[in-house]
Amino acid sequence: MNTFLQNCLRSTRFKALASCALGLVGAYALAQQMVGPQTKPPSAKEVEQRKSKGGYYPERMKNPNLSGHAGRMTVTPPSEIPVDKIKVPKGFKVELWAHGMPGVRMMARGSKGTIWAGTRIIGRVYEIKDKGGARQHRILAEKLVQPNGVAFQGGNLYVMAINRVFRYDGIEDNPSVKPIELTAQFKLPPDVHHNWKFIAFGPDSRLYVQVGSPCNICEPSPEHGQIRRYIADGSGMEVVARGVRNSVGFDFHPQTGELWFTDNGRDWQAEDGPQDELNRVSKFGQFFGFPYCHAQGIPDMDFKKQDPCKGVTLPVALMGPHAAALGMRFYSGSMFPKEYVNSIFVARHGSWNRSTLFGFDVANVRAGADGKNAKVTPFMTGFKDPKENKFWGRPADVLLMPDGALLVSDDQNGAIYRVSYQK
Amino acid sequence: MGLVCAAGVVLAQSQVDPTRGETLARPCAACHGTPDRDPLPLTPSLARQPEDYTVMQLFLLREGLREAPQMAGMLKNITDPDFFDIAAYYARQAPARGTAKPDLQLRARGAALSREMGCGSCHLRDYSGQKQVPRIANQREDYLASTLKAYRGNQRAGPDTSMNGILYRVPDSDIEALAHYLAHQ
Repeated sequence: MNTFLQNCLRSTRFKALASCALGLVGAYALAQQMVGPQTKPPSAKEVEQRKSKGGYYPERMKNPNLSGHAGRMTVTPPSEIPVDKIKVPKGFKVELWAHGMPGVRMMARGSKGTIWAGTRIIGRVYEIKDKGGARQHRILAEKLVQPNGVAFQGGNLYVMAINRVFRYDGIEDNPSVKPIELTAQFKLPPDVHHNWKFIAFGPDSRLYVQVGSPCNICEPSPEHGQIRRYIADGSGMEVVARGVRNSVGFDFHPQTGELWFTDNGRDWQAEDGPQDELNRVSKFGQFFGFPYCHAQGIPDMDFKKQDPCKGVTLPVALMGPHAAALGMRFYSGSMFPKEYVNSIFVARHGSWNRSTLFGFDVANVRAGADGKNAKVTPFMTGFKDPKENKFWGRPADVLLMPDGALLVSDDQNGAIYRVSYQK
Repeated sequence: MGLVCAAGVVLAQSQVDPTRGETLARPCAACHGTPDRDPLPLTPSLARQPEDYTVMQLFLLREGLREAPQMAGMLKNITDPDFFDIAAYYARQAPARGTAKPDLQLRARGAALSREMGCGSCHLRDYSGQKQVPRIANQREDYLASTLKAYRGNQRAGPDTSMNGILYRVPDSDIEALAHYLAHQ
């Protein structure tokens, strides 16, 4: 069919075009048939069988042929990044701050101004330096298994891949320092799914690490589905939050020091949910519901038990259906208007398990320090075209700069944007 | 309308040259087969794979992100534009049809498992694949089984980890039934 379409679209002859148009109608009808809803819903017995197979229910969706969006591994030149399509509230400005880094995702900043960014499939860690108005980058590490996690403390950079942990001592003074491997000390499970790491140092100087659930929906083994903290050398592990599906972003409240984190809701339950969560850890070791209770107290359709939401800490805010709420940071800068202080910026990478795209933006969440009265507002938009149901960019993480500007990484374009404000 | 628009985007992004791709892919045929000859044992058929899939895998193999000892060094002089031409060539090639008779019982068990696991969602109901998701219909059975086991054991990475998630805790016997079913479409 591809060949047919290409021949059609390449043809310059009028007659051929007309016959192509007819052919296309036929091809479209055939495609409709191919992707049409599955014939019948699963029986109770089949539901039971599917539970041990990750809980995939394409027939619950309007489009049963949903699949993840393919990332772009090749370099996107700045001329192909339509920054002018990005919308922010009045007074804010967006510029392309750095580019040419395929798959760029989670960011950390050194005390002397270096930015490091992790990636997933492309396996690289980028190092970015601001050289008088222009940015230069190099590939610090490569061929790692999804080195998504980066964090900085005490002059040292920590890089966490799914299966390995490295520390680069004094890297800003010694750019060619060889990393020290800490893999054995951290004892991370080997499963890869939902186990690319988000890492950050807390106000307690401990390294917080997510260990996701290695499935769409399942009863995970005891070492999964949690956020942990470690002493920076990999010792003293403690579980901070349990019942977590897959968190790829957290930060600590500027006033209370409490851990707040995003969590991605399960797939294949419904188009509109369960929604992604923004959570607050108010007690050490709290349980957040996975796999029995989702979002604002929605029982799982497949993993059922009595009182599924009993003892579950419900979220501060709902971040949208299949939104992929990932990197988040509290705003404690002085550049943005004062109503943004202590609010949260959340990168919503955007949905794939939904017929109509949702997310593909940076949201702003305002809430009390106690987590009450949360309000979610889209802040940085324009990465998707709702009419065409297509997207061109995917915000993955946000990072606050010392001058109060906000960096936003976009792994679809290998770019980092800078959002600033001027009265 | 959706299909037409989607196709438009594919075209806009790729000024591909399948004829050039055929020349580049000449060394591949020895192991990956031709329309008249099956690939070697444990080697995938590349014919009629979605172009995005072939490009992605070639990239992962060249960069050493997907390990396949047989492919070591084969791609070191292949550039990104070459990937698109090779992918375009294979997307237009008809796959060889194996002649082995299916074990009907095993095939039926595989069909039920495929429904439970939702294979037809991303790979489409006829398993012809889409975007970065491969055609698995009539792929070599031994290659399918070994690939599924590699996903389960986290030795194989795709453009994301959804296959690792799907294969979490799936026993060998299920994998073998699935591979048999998919290889006999």
